[in-house]
Amino acid sequence: MGIMAKSRIYSPWLFHFHCGGCNGCDIETLAALSPRWDPERFGIQLVPSPRHADILIATGCVPKQFIPMVKRVYEQVPDPKVVVAIGGCACGGSLFYNEDPDNYAILGSPDLLVPVDVYVPGCAPKPEAIINGIVQGILKLAEKKKAVKKA
Amino acid sequence: MPDALFTTITAIIMIPVAFFLSIIYLFLLRKFSARFQWRVGPVISMYADLKPLLGRSRILQPLYDILKLFGKDTVVPSVARKTLFKASPYLALACAFGAIFFIPLPGVPLLSYLDDSLVIASYLLIAAVMFTILGAASSGSPWSAIGARRESEIFLVYEIGFVVALFAAAMTYGTLSIWTIATTSSLPLLLLNPFAAVLLFLVMIGKLGIKPLDIAEAETEIVGGPYTEYSGKYLGMLQLTKGFLFYDMVGLFIVLFLAPMFGTALWIPVYIISAIVVVLFLSIVHVLHPRWKIDRAMRSYGLLIAVFAILAVIMVALALSYNWVVV
Repeated sequence: MGIMAKSRIYSPWLFHFHCGGCNGCDIETLAALSPRWDPERFGIQLVPSPRHADILIATGCVPKQFIPMVKRVYEQVPDPKVVVAIGGCACGGSLFYNEDPDNYAILGSPDLLVPVDVYVPGCAPKPEAIINGIVQGILKLAEKKKAVKKA
Repeated sequence: MPDALFTTITAIIMIPVAFFLSIIYLFLLRKFSARFQWRVGPVISMYADLKPLLGRSRILQPLYDILKLFGKDTVVPSVARKTLFKASPYLALACAFGAIFFIPLPGVPLLSYLDDSLVIASYLLIAAVMFTILGAASSGSPWSAIGARRESEIFLVYEIGFVVALFAAAMTYGTLSIWTIATTSSLPLLLLNPFAAVLLFLVMIGKLGIKPLDIAEAETEIVGGPYTEYSGKYLGMLQLTKGFLFYDMVGLFIVLFLAPMFGTALWIPVYIISAIVVVLFLSIVHVLHPRWKIDRAMRSYGLLIAVFAILAVIMVALALSYNWVVV
């Protein structure tokens, strides 16, 4: 493995993207980045701008007014990128799944709009589960660059 | 004055050395702040079961960050002034990189024996920050614009202190050559003029974006400040600029204020230890303070800089009139 491929695995930067929802998953996500688990040991950092990020952490179900922002933030993350959906709402809509009649405000999970690579279900998932999801995302990140190189 | 061949060879060797040292300083800042916050920080020796996947050590973590950024896609916003936006990271890096040749190591004068090396080094260090501001201002993003404005406000405050601190050293020894200052003194200027040393330390806090004064890149308020719109290799270049600036400022502090160790290369371990101590003090400041508001930063930081600048000048006058400098 070359040093560039290694450095991609060694320094994943996260952008925490709150798509909408109840904030429970956001609290757990921030707890996963807290000193108790300390992912900075492995170079995982929370970055303020999607342009700096490698991994987009999406939480919550998308309100209809928020559709353009979700698409735009996804496009702002430079390649190679990975999207990790955290929580039941982000994984499939949870209690907003396939409502009848249609919900006037809520579209559903973010994977209707952007390609999601890793799903972390739970309401809300534990920090350990979130870290596991991020690790799966890092492994996918390494694979993605290989795929780009082959093409 | 050393001969040209020696200077050329040491300058070429100096490039990887300075790069490595700047990576180590950035790592130490992260590690020390992590330890102060009861965290582990980037691990020095990786856990045995994770070694195959995650490598042996994370001492080079800032290097991995920079390399990763160079391997990523680069996004340029459509509203930016593209020439200026793309050129400023190169220019900022060039200035911060150029300044490493004016910061001597023990026994290695590089270009610091030149008559006006202190002036050239200070201009290069000022220009590196100026180009960061310029790039942010040309990006067309409101967050970057706010970041650029904050950076330039704080820049106006600490540059006064920077110039006074450098010229306190220059006036005490009556020379503008960094190498002459480093080799002629028999007593560290830290003891002779502690106010100037504190002043340069305060300037370092502002210039390197250490915690109470990281208002320019306050990520919880204004996204990334000057770096908001930068991605990929340009962000990597700005990170590299920050690393070299870190090396330059720490080196300048040691060479001006902890001077009498530049005679032979045997003092290099002492140089490294004093650099680690300076980084330790910077990280103590980093973890002990919350971010200041911009108006408070302007007032309190400006007041601190002004008081210490006046005290430093008074100490220089005393040192000169009572002839404290033993050459």
